[in-house]
Amino acid sequence: MASPCEVHLGGIGRREAEGILEIVHAEAMRIETKFSRYREGNVVDCINRSDGYHITVDDETARLLDYASSLWTLSEGRFDITSGVLRRAWTFDGSDNLPDSDKVERLLGRVGWQRVDWQRPTLCMQPGMEIDFGGIGKEYAVDRAAELVRGEVESCLINFGGDLLALGPPPAVEHGSTGWTVGIESLAGGTAVKRISLTEGALATSGDARRFVLRGGHRYGHILDARTGWPVDNAPRSVTVLASTCTQAGMLSTLAMLMGAEAESFLEAQGARYWCLR
Amino acid sequence: MQLKRKASTSIGASLAAATAGLLGQSPGRAIAQELAPWEYDTAILLYSESDNRVRDVSLNLDARKEVREEAFLNLKLAIDTLTGASPSGAAPANTVQTFTTPSGGSTFDIAAGEQVLDPSFLDTRTALAANYDFPLGRFTRFDLGLSLSDEYDYSHSGVNMKLDRDFDNRNTTFTFGLALANDSIDPVGGAPIGLAPMTATGGNKQGDQSKDVTDILLGVTQVLNRHSLVQFNVSLSESDGYQTDPYKILSVVDPVTGNPVIAPPLNGLPYLYRYENRPDTRDKQSIYGLYKRDIGGNVFDVSYRYMTDDWDVDSHTIDLHYRWNLESGSYLQPHLRFYSQTAAGFYHSVLFNGTPLPDFASADYRLSEFDGLTLGIKFGRETRRGEMSGRLEIYQQTGSASPGSQVGSLQSFDLNPGLEAIIAQFSYKFGG
Repeated sequence: MASPCEVHLGGIGRREAEGILEIVHAEAMRIETKFSRYREGNVVDCINRSDGYHITVDDETARLLDYASSLWTLSEGRFDITSGVLRRAWTFDGSDNLPDSDKVERLLGRVGWQRVDWQRPTLCMQPGMEIDFGGIGKEYAVDRAAELVRGEVESCLINFGGDLLALGPPPAVEHGSTGWTVGIESLAGGTAVKRISLTEGALATSGDARRFVLRGGHRYGHILDARTGWPVDNAPRSVTVLASTCTQAGMLSTLAMLMGAEAESFLEAQGARYWCLR
Repeated sequence: MQLKRKASTSIGASLAAATAGLLGQSPGRAIAQELAPWEYDTAILLYSESDNRVRDVSLNLDARKEVREEAFLNLKLAIDTLTGASPSGAAPANTVQTFTTPSGGSTFDIAAGEQVLDPSFLDTRTALAANYDFPLGRFTRFDLGLSLSDEYDYSHSGVNMKLDRDFDNRNTTFTFGLALANDSIDPVGGAPIGLAPMTATGGNKQGDQSKDVTDILLGVTQVLNRHSLVQFNVSLSESDGYQTDPYKILSVVDPVTGNPVIAPPLNGLPYLYRYENRPDTRDKQSIYGLYKRDIGGNVFDVSYRYMTDDWDVDSHTIDLHYRWNLESGSYLQPHLRFYSQTAAGFYHSVLFNGTPLPDFASADYRLSEFDGLTLGIKFGRETRRGEMSGRLEIYQQTGSASPGSQVGSLQSFDLNPGLEAIIAQFSYKFGG
């Protein structure tokens, strides 16, 4: 998952806790192994090397592709799992290096879900195109792991790199709050600007706090609009959303980022509980 | 304009359906609330004794903030306004009695047969406390605090610290606490010379006084299982300095008739009373045990405390609560408390004329043998931003006079009539 993952458990003995940890760990590793774009030989690697040939995928991969397809439609093309190749033009390292617009334009020729022929369970993609589930995978892993241990424990918080889900409140109600206290990190990092007490459900955060290009006083965040290949203007620095599943929370926060200046009104329209930092 | 219209389009339902399809489950619940930067706990409390005795209106404000991860700053402010009359320690008599006010500026009369209350009782107390509670490593918490209070004739300053250390997967917690305080007492009209006669002009008094108090606590909390825990504490308290209540007196009576003794003419008062006098140290030891249990989502707790000190006061306290959770975040909590103590060795309801004066003597009912019973009920309700609660309690105290004190005419009076009090509190906790 390329980030610290942790599980908090309460109300059970050590042996039961170790059993649950093992289940969560195994599921995280399974999803990482199967869907990471950095691993050779997995289903994503096979699709990306398919070179225009048809690839038939398993049911889980098919569900993820269906989901990605829905997101592409719902976001009117802003969110696109084929947009990963744009990273070859962009390096978000806090420097002032903007890519050459010709290069972005060339790469855009290899981006676009509309160019993919997805007829479940078969996918056919033009040579040079790539997919990656980076925008979905971590939240999906949290939900999958939670589903495997639901019912086994009354108090559980699964946190994969800041995207997290609570199954019931913590065992001891501490400091007058009834849930797990989750801090939203300040833009400068280190301190919590907001604290949220999470009893049940999920919180996911999208943000560009430390990944951006700064040029001529303009800040280019790392959230790229797949339609233009350029960062979304006026996006919040961080969006945290509450939802019943981590995947739903993560997608709402990602889509909100893609709405740029309209992030808040978008989230309002969805009736979502959210916290935006600008 | 186009973007704005699109932005306000709701895709939530379609997204939720797509997510449910991916995860193969229907959406559950999401429950979260934003924690305010500060949490406040405010309360107004009324303590009122029957027969126009002491009445305390107390305003309390606690504020708490998480200043860094798991580290909390707590600030407390309390303002108490005390009014009413308090028993002076003098015994009732078959005749009108005359007493001097604490300042020595005037005298007042108490009718025959009436309990002797000092009517000029009015004070405002302001107390401030600050604590910083923070983790030291994963299993230890440290709490450092300062306390200050001030009222017309009394001021307090103190420091305190507490260390909690978890063991055995946090099932066991050891606690060590230490508090040091310095109190200074500057009584109205001066601190009386112990056992000296009260005079009409407020004589026999000297300057202000002070005392130092050290409290040490050792405790262990043990989680027994997922539904219950126990706690044991041992505490030691050592108080060194002025312990006497400068406003309390004792009647000097005839050992046969029980009637008040005529004062020497220079006193200026008809009858003889002496200021009380207490030892200048008091060492207390106490043990405390608590059992707390979850019973189907409701919480029962019972605690017992035994305290003994070198003044021969031994006390037992049993405290019971049952928190009964009702629907929609409300609860009812009945409370029952029994208290019983033995008298201090130097507690005398009266002093007998012609008997050598003891070194120490007090007729303060708080040092007598007495039993107290508290019955109360609390109702609490969650609000959007916190919780509000109301508490109503009644307290009844029944005491005994010191043995052999009810001689002659005193037999027709209750030398330790006890008291009844009502306690009403309204609290509101909220974040802001």
